[in-house]
Amino acid sequence: MHNHSVMSDDSRAKVENYCQWVHKRGVPIDGFVLSEHRKFDFESDYRSLEDEYGLRILKAAEVETDYGHVLVYGVNEDMYAAFDFSAIRLSLAEVVNEVARCGGIAVPCHPGRTRVGMLAHVRDRGPVEGVEVIETLNGGSRGTENDEAGGLAQEYGYRGIGGSDAHIVSHIGRCATRFADPIETVEDLVEALRGGDYQAIHTTGTEGER
Amino acid sequence: MAIGVDELRSRYVGMVFDSVEVQALRDEMVGFASACGETEPCYIDPDHEDFQAPVNFTTKYHGARMLPDDFPEFDRRAMIDAGKAITWHRPIRAGETLTARSQIYDIYEKTGRSGVMLFLVHRMEFTNEGGELTSVVDWRLILRGGLS
Repeated sequence: MHNHSVMSDDSRAKVENYCQWVHKRGVPIDGFVLSEHRKFDFESDYRSLEDEYGLRILKAAEVETDYGHVLVYGVNEDMYAAFDFSAIRLSLAEVVNEVARCGGIAVPCHPGRTRVGMLAHVRDRGPVEGVEVIETLNGGSRGTENDEAGGLAQEYGYRGIGGSDAHIVSHIGRCATRFADPIETVEDLVEALRGGDYQAIHTTGTEGER
Repeated sequence: MAIGVDELRSRYVGMVFDSVEVQALRDEMVGFASACGETEPCYIDPDHEDFQAPVNFTTKYHGARMLPDDFPEFDRRAMIDAGKAITWHRPIRAGETLTARSQIYDIYEKTGRSGVMLFLVHRMEFTNEGGELTSVVDWRLILRGGLS
């Protein structure tokens, strides 16, 4: 649900190498989502890799707001025109509203992380209306960051997803989201995220908060 | 007065602000390759028929100026070297004179655990005496806290 490729400025992982790693290491995931920093990759076509490795590869984005970083699923051209994905001082309220208006869903990620997570901002300024889902398990979290994210979800009734936040190939699948129904397209993913029948998991088997 | 990233971009991105000539000397090529742990004879044996500089050789060069003359002042102690990426185009042979042109290739911001960071991408393009592009080096510099 949260991975970066060479399309992000801080990742050197090629998408094919992610696929090879998943295949070779038997990482227990059916697919992954690429969420490049401050941009959406309209160009890349990963269908041949999907066929070769039997994986579903979907695309999203990670944008930066006044409440920290936010995953955006269901990106389309209308949404891309609605706000500047490259800006780092977006309003979370505006992002949540615009993403929903354009048919997607915005999910604040690594909420327990200093400065770039939502938790501290919620404590300072209160919750933002419209947020329904947050990333409660993040593969790059340190210390108690995931526990704090889980606590935030419980406090405000947010549903939780898991994301690896992989920037290198060996980190793919560290955290994941188990959906009740198959996910074939981004539309399926957005619908499922709105529906709520899913669970954040560690791929080691430890289940997180929903 | 603080200057925004949009204005910085419009003023400086694409600006070629420096040009220097450097000569690829045989001993420097061998020394650089050896320091990098190269073992291929074409990089460490000057008598090899295909002797050439290692692919990352031009990362060792600096221009005469790191930034345009009128670039806003900032506390250089807050600057972090975020590394260099090289795109190799063709071999560099011993004795060749290279022309290195520097430009600001990109300016952007992001937020991390430590707060706002301004990224400057300093690009050097190296061409040989025939005008052929040999390599492009992108050097990322981070200004913690931006230019505030």
